[in-house]
Amino acid sequence: MNKFIEAVSTLENSYIKDWKSRGGRVVGYTCSYVPDEILHAAGLFPFRVRGFSAADTTIGDTYFGPFICSLPKCMLQLAGEGKFNFLDGIIITPGCDSMRRLDECWRKAGDDIEGIMPGFFFHFGVPHKFTDYTLKWFTEETKRLVGALNAHFGADINNEKLSESIKLYNRSRALLARFDSLRTKENPPFTGIEALAVVLAGTALPKEIYNVMLEEYLTEMNEAPGLAGRSRIMLVGSANDDLELVRIIEGSGGLVVADNLCFGSRLYSDAVDENSDPVEALVTRYLSHNECPRMYGDYKNRLLSLKEKIESAAIDGVILQNIRFCDLHGSENGLFERDLEKEGIPCMRLEREYGPLVETGRMKMRIDAFLERLGRRTVAP
Amino acid sequence: MITAGIDVGSLTSKAVIMKDGKFLSSAILKSKPRPWESADLALNSVLEKTGLSMTDINCSVGTGYGRDKIPFIKQALSEIACHAKGARWLMPSARTVIDIGGQDCKVMRLDEKGEMVKFITNDKCASGTGRFLEVMAKVMGVELSELGELSACSKSPITLASACTVWAQADIIQHLNEMIPIEDIAAGINNAMASRVSTLVSSIGIEREVCMTGGVAKNSGVVSSLEKTLGIHIKKIRRDDPQLAGAIGAAIYAETVSNGGKI
Amino acid sequence: MRKEMKEYNFDWMLWNVFASAARLKSGTEKEYLNTLKYIPYFKGVVEPIMECGEPGRKFLDMSAKYLENIVHAKERGFKTAVTTFCFSPAIFYAMDIIPVGLEVISVMMTFAYKRGTADFLDFCNEAGFTETSCSSQRGTIGAYLAGVGAEIDMIVTDSPGVCDTNANAFAFASAYLDKPFFQLDMPPDLTGDRSDEYHLEDYKALIKFLEEHSGKKLEPDQLKARLDELQRQDTIIAELEEMARIIPSPIPVVYNLFVYASRFLFAGMPECTEVLESMLKAASENAAMKRPGLKGGREKIRTFFCYIDHYAQNLQLWQMLEREGIGYCGNILSRLWAENVPHVKEYGKEEAAYRVDTSSLDSMIYTLAGINSRMPMIKSIRGPYDAPNMWLEDTLALAKMYSTDVIVYNGTPGCRNTWGMVKLLARDTEAAGYPTYIMYSDAFDERVQSWEATEERFLEFLKVRRII
Repeated sequence: MNKFIEAVSTLENSYIKDWKSRGGRVVGYTCSYVPDEILHAAGLFPFRVRGFSAADTTIGDTYFGPFICSLPKCMLQLAGEGKFNFLDGIIITPGCDSMRRLDECWRKAGDDIEGIMPGFFFHFGVPHKFTDYTLKWFTEETKRLVGALNAHFGADINNEKLSESIKLYNRSRALLARFDSLRTKENPPFTGIEALAVVLAGTALPKEIYNVMLEEYLTEMNEAPGLAGRSRIMLVGSANDDLELVRIIEGSGGLVVADNLCFGSRLYSDAVDENSDPVEALVTRYLSHNECPRMYGDYKNRLLSLKEKIESAAIDGVILQNIRFCDLHGSENGLFERDLEKEGIPCMRLEREYGPLVETGRMKMRIDAFLERLGRRTVAP
Repeated sequence: MITAGIDVGSLTSKAVIMKDGKFLSSAILKSKPRPWESADLALNSVLEKTGLSMTDINCSVGTGYGRDKIPFIKQALSEIACHAKGARWLMPSARTVIDIGGQDCKVMRLDEKGEMVKFITNDKCASGTGRFLEVMAKVMGVELSELGELSACSKSPITLASACTVWAQADIIQHLNEMIPIEDIAAGINNAMASRVSTLVSSIGIEREVCMTGGVAKNSGVVSSLEKTLGIHIKKIRRDDPQLAGAIGAAIYAETVSNGGKI
Repeated sequence: MRKEMKEYNFDWMLWNVFASAARLKSGTEKEYLNTLKYIPYFKGVVEPIMECGEPGRKFLDMSAKYLENIVHAKERGFKTAVTTFCFSPAIFYAMDIIPVGLEVISVMMTFAYKRGTADFLDFCNEAGFTETSCSSQRGTIGAYLAGVGAEIDMIVTDSPGVCDTNANAFAFASAYLDKPFFQLDMPPDLTGDRSDEYHLEDYKALIKFLEEHSGKKLEPDQLKARLDELQRQDTIIAELEEMARIIPSPIPVVYNLFVYASRFLFAGMPECTEVLESMLKAASENAAMKRPGLKGGREKIRTFFCYIDHYAQNLQLWQMLEREGIGYCGNILSRLWAENVPHVKEYGKEEAAYRVDTSSLDSMIYTLAGINSRMPMIKSIRGPYDAPNMWLEDTLALAKMYSTDVIVYNGTPGCRNTWGMVKLLARDTEAAGYPTYIMYSDAFDERVQSWEATEERFLEFLKVRRII
């Protein structure tokens, strides 16, 4: 576990330092809709950009206006402080409007602050629905990315290399599926905090090393004693890459055993088809993912997936959190609350800021009350 | 069994002593910056009234923002659970509890057994909390406790342009300069408050009986304005001071905690 | 929501307000002035519109008709489609579907009512919809979510890829009310084969959706009639846009509002053409007499609102412009992107504009896809703001063409995509020599910042920067 936590406690962790010292290059991406297998196939280190560890948002606030989600602001803050200078490239998507604007804000900050602009800067479009023509467009967009990576990094991304990368990533996914079943068994052997560390590490380590670490960990956890007597929580909503937030949510008596988050299960659900053309297989798997509310009009399916997970993981209560100004999660959480409560599944909505945890007292009070409510459910006849 | 409940809030601290489920005495004091000092003062005050001492208390539970810092309590519980419990004791038929305190506003729904099943809070913004009324009363140069009575005499309440505590002050000053009757301004303030709170209440749904706890429950202007906006009757708590709901709930829970029960 | 709000359908109420206002002109001038005494509440909004003469009267007629269509849709056997202002309604009219444009209705309520759309904005919170979402949709969708409006049959938007908060509002409504939903998705680029194909395929899918949920087939004759009418409208607007370049502008400041309102409400329908023709006549007269459109007779400065206007009650923004002698060169909503408009020709932007070709059903569908993808916001708020054909390029080009002295940004706190980079835009426009003012108000909700405060700060800016 320590290795996982160490890998995610600093942005430029020891593995990245090591990679770079051997002449390797790192390309960051901001969204779970980027098929990072491509970066791996190009011989690059794919790094999921985070906002974690930003101590304030003075730089973020300079370029972004007010009324904006604090996640991209924190990312820009780190970029402006030079904390992402180890990146040789960055891929930004219109995951949502606030994240989309990270593109120009970073570039303009790059005009003012020396050295923070990665050499490769790419705006990667992602459609908002899954149809034959959006898939076609997305395939072309992915090929455009491939071409640009080849040109800039002198890489040679071909089908063979892609197939290899896909296999490797699928191995991760299979391991994480096993991890998921451990996570949701009756007395899970690890906390939600540890679970997040495991998943996050997968975005900040070379996949080869990660798979080995994960396999070892899973073997160890098979024999580990379980944590009993806690309310089983599912965490839903806006992105979170801060272990401390999960610590507050687990509070005194909760255990986050499932999630549908961006730095969570969205990363490892569904394998890429290894039997068809690699690019086609990748775009199909990535674009067909509908867990993100940016895929408009698909609420019913997302609700169904939630309900299935709640049942299979024996969830006691759902915490629906959103970052302030996140319109997408902030609204869909309202629908989830309505429809889940209707079926007798206790829910709690929590609005928060992303970044340094300054309002823990307020959050704790609400979470305590929710856990008290859940606790009574298991005691009462 | 003698139990004590301590509710350390941002503006006021409350302590209640109960014996075998019966109310003995209470104290309400202005909070000190350090919650453990407030808790000490409040408990000592009520002990003095009853002639009891610390050793007579079998078990005490703390709640409120400062609950984790109170050294002498057996357990700390959320205000939401304690307010709900206390409100139910104050009014056995209560199913919806609107608690407007000094710094936040909560609405709780209880089931037939009096267990809290749903809650919603507003604790990020001053408007819709006692702080809003406090600030406005100061601007008007009246006592906070006068706002309710004043508004009852209003013939033509003003409409505040903004619910924001910061902007509303400027608004009030302008009305005062224009010699608008003070009753009308008070009524406008109470209406703005009620409007803000009613949105919160409607989000969680109303079920009768509806009661109000917290300091603002004593402001008849806010209560009647809220009744009008929501279109329901808010049953007045007569059994005791509604501001004590949190402390009462804590004292009741103390008995369960003492018996080894799980909350 | 307050009990009173549930007594009547809100759109029926609003229709009655505008229909009654439209009838005011049917008497003599004396009768009209006398009637104003009896409508103290609505006097403030009626007067500024009626003072425009015939265009104002036609604008009221048009607004009343729009609401009448919605209120009577069911009994007349028409389906309704809740949609957004940046979705050209020509296709709906071609298929006998009644459009219910959320933002335009929000504008009408914010103009006419003291409380604006406050009750419905608040109801959205009760429904679980986030209060940080743009007030332009929230103000009206709240009423439909509360069930105090006409029956809705389907929900259609074209803002994905352009504006999340807009798209999300429609997606939420469709899930909340359980109504069929369709999104036209916009790729990050406007031009190029990939985008062209994407726009077209998407539009074809839209037509399939509309046919399925309206039970009507798209008839080429009906569509041609709408597109012919739309072309007539585009020609008039092009003339008005050309005239707006004259210094001082002969176009009354409120005409910009009438131009975009007409297009959003009735593109492709005679109701829109009538308002436009009336405006062209009046503006042409001014131009011939070398008379400025401003009533005061003197155009002190010229402003370009790079985003949207402020819809404070009683058209107070336009009243301020008139009072202070501030000319208005348009905003993102009023500029058209048909191939025959002045700025397209001036900058050789034919690729960024659309062409109307009614020779076949296929060419007409291609035209519709083009028109829609060039609607305000849809055209220029994709991808990064400084990419070709996007917001910065447009703003600078138009500011130059229309000899602007000041650029003003006004929007709503819910506008994620502009607040994400408006400071960057302002930096660029200032660097290009245009004093740029960012308004921190909400165009649809005065509770955020009162109009008085907004106006005061704006005028202070002009003074401090020695512009006026």
